Amino acid sequence: MRLASLLTKEIIQFSRDRVILFLILWLYTIEVVICAYALSFDVKHLPMAAIDLDRSVASRSLLEKFSISEAFDVAGYPPTMVVAGNWLDGGKASLVIVIPEGFDRDLRRGTVPVVQLLLDGSNSNTAAIARGYAAQILDRFQQEWLPDGASATVQVEPVVRVWYNPDQTYTSFMVLSMIALAALMVGVIHPAASIVREKEVGTIEQLMVTPIRIGELFLAKTAPTLAMGLLSVFPSLLIVWWFGVPLRGSLLLFLLLTALFLLSAIGIGVLVAAVSKTLQQALLLSFFGLFPLMFLSGTLVPVESMPEFLQTLSLVSPLRYYMDVILGIFLKGAGIAELWPQALALFVIGSLLFGIAIGVFRRQLA
Amino acid sequence: MAGSTDRAAVIMLMASFESNSWMIEAQGIGRRFGLQKALTDINLQIAEGEIFGLLGPDGAGKTTLMQILAAILDPSEGACSVLGFDTVKQTASITSRIGYMSQGFTLYDRLTVDENLVFSAKVRGIEGSVYQQRRQRLLAMAGLTQFSGRRAGNLSGGMRKKLSLCTNLIHEPPLLLLDELSLGVDPVSRRELWQMLREFRESGTTIVVTTPYMDEADYCDRLALLDHGQILALDSPDAMRRRGEGSVFELETSRAEEVLKVLADRPELGGVQWLGNVLHILLRPAATLPTDVLQTLQNLGDLHPASASLEDVFVQMTAPETAVPIPTFVPSSPTPGRAPALDVVRLKGVTCRFGDFTAVDNVMLTVPAGEVFGFLGPNGAGKTTLIRAMCALLKPASGEIQVAGVDVVKEPMRLRSRIGYMSQRFSLYTELTVAENLSFFAGVYGIDGSPRVEAIAWASDVIGLGGMEDRQVQEISGALRQRLALACSVLHKPAVLFLDEPTSGVDPVSRQRFWQLIQSLASTGMAVFVTTHYLEEATYCHRLGLMYEGRLIAVGSIPDLRSTLSMEESASMEDIFMAYIEREKESEEVTEAIR
Amino acid sequence: MNWRRLMAVTAKETGEIIRDPITIGVSVLLPLVMLFLFGYAISLDVENVALGVLDQDKSPASRALTDSFVQSGYFSLIRDFETVEEVEASLQRGKVKLVLVIPSRFHTALMRNESPAVQVLVDGTYSATALVAANYAQAIVASFRQPARPSAVQLEARVWYNAPMRSINFVVPGLYAVILMAFPPLLTALALVREKENGSIQQIFASPLTSSEYIVGKLIPYGLIAFAQMIMVISIGFFWFQVPFQGNLGFLLATAFIFVFCTVGIGLLVSTITRSQLTAMLLALIITLMPSFLFSGFLFPIFTMPYVLQLYTRIFPARYFVELSRGIVLKGGGLEELWLNVALLLLYTIAVFWLAAWRFRKKVA
Repeated sequence: MRLASLLTKEIIQFSRDRVILFLILWLYTIEVVICAYALSFDVKHLPMAAIDLDRSVASRSLLEKFSISEAFDVAGYPPTMVVAGNWLDGGKASLVIVIPEGFDRDLRRGTVPVVQLLLDGSNSNTAAIARGYAAQILDRFQQEWLPDGASATVQVEPVVRVWYNPDQTYTSFMVLSMIALAALMVGVIHPAASIVREKEVGTIEQLMVTPIRIGELFLAKTAPTLAMGLLSVFPSLLIVWWFGVPLRGSLLLFLLLTALFLLSAIGIGVLVAAVSKTLQQALLLSFFGLFPLMFLSGTLVPVESMPEFLQTLSLVSPLRYYMDVILGIFLKGAGIAELWPQALALFVIGSLLFGIAIGVFRRQLA
Repeated sequence: MAGSTDRAAVIMLMASFESNSWMIEAQGIGRRFGLQKALTDINLQIAEGEIFGLLGPDGAGKTTLMQILAAILDPSEGACSVLGFDTVKQTASITSRIGYMSQGFTLYDRLTVDENLVFSAKVRGIEGSVYQQRRQRLLAMAGLTQFSGRRAGNLSGGMRKKLSLCTNLIHEPPLLLLDELSLGVDPVSRRELWQMLREFRESGTTIVVTTPYMDEADYCDRLALLDHGQILALDSPDAMRRRGEGSVFELETSRAEEVLKVLADRPELGGVQWLGNVLHILLRPAATLPTDVLQTLQNLGDLHPASASLEDVFVQMTAPETAVPIPTFVPSSPTPGRAPALDVVRLKGVTCRFGDFTAVDNVMLTVPAGEVFGFLGPNGAGKTTLIRAMCALLKPASGEIQVAGVDVVKEPMRLRSRIGYMSQRFSLYTELTVAENLSFFAGVYGIDGSPRVEAIAWASDVIGLGGMEDRQVQEISGALRQRLALACSVLHKPAVLFLDEPTSGVDPVSRQRFWQLIQSLASTGMAVFVTTHYLEEATYCHRLGLMYEGRLIAVGSIPDLRSTLSMEESASMEDIFMAYIEREKESEEVTEAIR
Repeated sequence: MNWRRLMAVTAKETGEIIRDPITIGVSVLLPLVMLFLFGYAISLDVENVALGVLDQDKSPASRALTDSFVQSGYFSLIRDFETVEEVEASLQRGKVKLVLVIPSRFHTALMRNESPAVQVLVDGTYSATALVAANYAQAIVASFRQPARPSAVQLEARVWYNAPMRSINFVVPGLYAVILMAFPPLLTALALVREKENGSIQQIFASPLTSSEYIVGKLIPYGLIAFAQMIMVISIGFFWFQVPFQGNLGFLLATAFIFVFCTVGIGLLVSTITRSQLTAMLLALIITLMPSFLFSGFLFPIFTMPYVLQLYTRIFPARYFVELSRGIVLKGGGLEELWLNVALLLLYTIAVFWLAAWRFRKKVA
């Protein structure tokens, strides 16, 4: 019954705390929506400057292929290289294509003309992708402009099928990763803020004089977060549906593994609260802890591209396993047979963090 | 203090000749917050060199008025001029000249005493040798010289207030506005604070003070009594007291029950207090008891008229029109020869240490059931530490503590359901309503179902929380919070109740009510431990324990304490208190000398 | 403006900050952690993608094709599959990210001058890598010709700015903006709201301090912290990570100076709106930290966003500073090229301070 009273109190406090409610709502909905629409690593509408020194049918045809592709937008036709260079400097264009004089003639003669591409390498990722697209466009152009009579080059035709993401958008990935991130943030910040606030106000002392046991207090501080984290899954399902992201796996499994994940998050939150004396400290520390976790999880940057030691380090981040889980269940329809390593990892890390948290909590209050 | 009336009269007379030289002149000041009227039609004139006191219950509007005078809040109506400047149009001229001390402890806790002083000085352009001189003088006055390098957060409450005052005196302002100067400060420090103020007044500083302490009200030249945003009375302390003439009686009796039956429901009654074995009876303004009633009372004991105290006048003017609650109990008489009751608390050789600092030194004490026991002592004497040890909030270095039949050191868990505790901060959950707080604490003590409903009803009734159940705690006044905190701590009818400064900052009417509650709880057999800074409240307790530097230097009822040192009957609580401390200091010096 | 009084406020604020070890610790360590993580981990470049091959032909041609994948450097061959089921299972478990399926009559088709089709199966879940990998795969396959034949047109690609195309060169200048956006608003907002919460601000009101003296005095230490953080990141970026510095350091510092003012001013503005520390912190989180990370062009390119959202990014000053920063560090740009961003940033800063000054009054209510 003591526990029931504690839980009731926590729930009432929580429901009257407009600030936290607002934050959670925002993180789980609007932020997800904005990010899903906005963020992607793909190359689209890249502003391109074109210098056509040939002005032949061939060169115009090539340029047309560039302008109709989704990847590039022709921003203009600078008269000279110097001007084009200025455009690059000022960011007006991110690449310049230069078609040399005599392009058409060289094509017919079979003397290979050289098309120059100047890329803004600041964003190396974009540059690499842009180069790839340009090469492809050039390739397709070549197929249509072979000199008559030459034997058709035997080419291999690549048929690319993208599994689990046939539209080849970043949207699904974004939506799901933002939801995972939101779960992490809320899971850490909510118990931390709740505990530190009682410390600051002094009500913890009052509780210590009552028959309440430390274990009950601990549960009262952590169970609501768990419940809330699980309940928030449902509104995010709405968002998921809105963006057309499929749910191919089992919702029940998802809820279970989310619960396991939240264990780690809550454990971290309690540890932060144990060390902090003020709310400001708690919040700063939370960020400090969250940031590497988020980073090493593969949400922003693929784990395989990281150096060895960071890859090993990422094995400790619960978010990493949770990303596999959320992407696997939604996009791949994966079940426990495929995800058991992640489930195990989450269980181990979660129990460890949670256990340490209980220990520290006990010691602080005893 | 006898001269204060004359002084006030002189001031008023002098100032009326030079009507332009009022330090503060407020005309028709009103202030609204949303739909609520915090102040209505305030008219004040304060002369140079006055000590002016602003009294009133919680929420009366004192702080709002102070803020308007300090020009950090604009009035909704009316005009106010301070030092000759208008508070709305010439704010900067005022704020650059005055000293204003807001409620609470407004220091920078992480900075040292010196750093706090330097900041205040630099901001006011006080530097160099002028600063050094004043700093030395102020620190010496406040007794803080050797603490200059300590962080403000590590000072005791009294020292922090003194430091706050110093930061406001560093520029020797012509006007000082002090909001709740001595709240939460022990009597010794309070004396020192007032000494500092008087010294500055001698050099012409005008001081406006709000205070909840009636004895401080006496230090003022004139007083204004504020209630519900309006001034009820404006006069010198003596003149105020005279208003209550003829309304106060004291009745020494051993048949209190019968007396109370006689007085109950009498329309003339303003209030009744039980002070030791004397009933202090207050009538409504201009009311007199019919002769037959007076006769009956005289037959029941020794009845004689008494002079009204400021508190009496205060209660007269601010107590609601409806009937004042009459205590429905008979507290056990503190006179010797009573039947020995079961000892409910036993302390043997209790010592508490923090590092090499001994906070509590070898304390021995036994307290029977139903006794109200008060701990008095300067800040840092160890009162709070001792109470926390008794509640199992901290472990003593040595000694035995038995509370309600439980060995506290060995079995702290068992203790918890048998004690109640109310801390200084009234630890309530501000976002929850009154009812929710009560329900929570009931559940925490394992009370459920119909017992819970009953317990809550009992608590609400006895403590007078009816009608407030659905208000959130952050919306209700300090006095109500205090009563709610008390209710939450007694829901489970504990055997022993610990109250740490429970009446801090609450107005006299509410305080009286509160003490009536405590006494009625004690009459049900509960032992109650209280720490307080209000010396006048010492009279509500059966016995007192004086603590000084961790040691319990005196224990006994007030008459006992007086007779041990052969003091006069008229010796006040403060005198007794200081006398014991003097004695202790002397014996320390002797022990030192012997070594 | 009385400088003595202002300095007194700064001295007091500094005294308080120094004695808060956690705040100091995080202020120093978090940028370092961010820098190192981004520095070492961030390779938006795609390498070592786990590759699987289902070679149903097992001819010299098919092996040559497989080889060209391995030689490209983008892929690591993890498994040779025998059946389709194996492929599916492996993709599901995420053991391989891309599978090349070469049909059984690949070699024969090539010999007969028919264009055989080859399947490239990509695990699209981690889209960042997936699409790039798919692109590379397509390019590799498309350029696989048997026999090898020169192309009709040759593409010569040159990279301007960041010729080595190291992601870190791209990231570090943007990181300045993120760090400057992460801390100052949060710390300033909290510092001011704290005084409101505990009432010490009333003492300030009832003193000779003017609003501007108080505000500026309080902001200076946080501005300095931000500046120090930035210098730390620039130095480490330059000396440790070898991020080349093409432009004028003075110009960068000058714009950084304006940006610091801007971010600190935002913190001030937030503090005038909120009453509690928690609200201040959350507001700061939502309007400064997250957008600077996600919507400033730091990691995610702006031009791919829908137009409406591109406009959304203009609300956040970090966007202007990221462009400035990259422009100066990588492109060696000066005032003539980047004047628009500088002007916008200045305008923004002034607007923020004006708003904050308008809201901040020396009155309790």
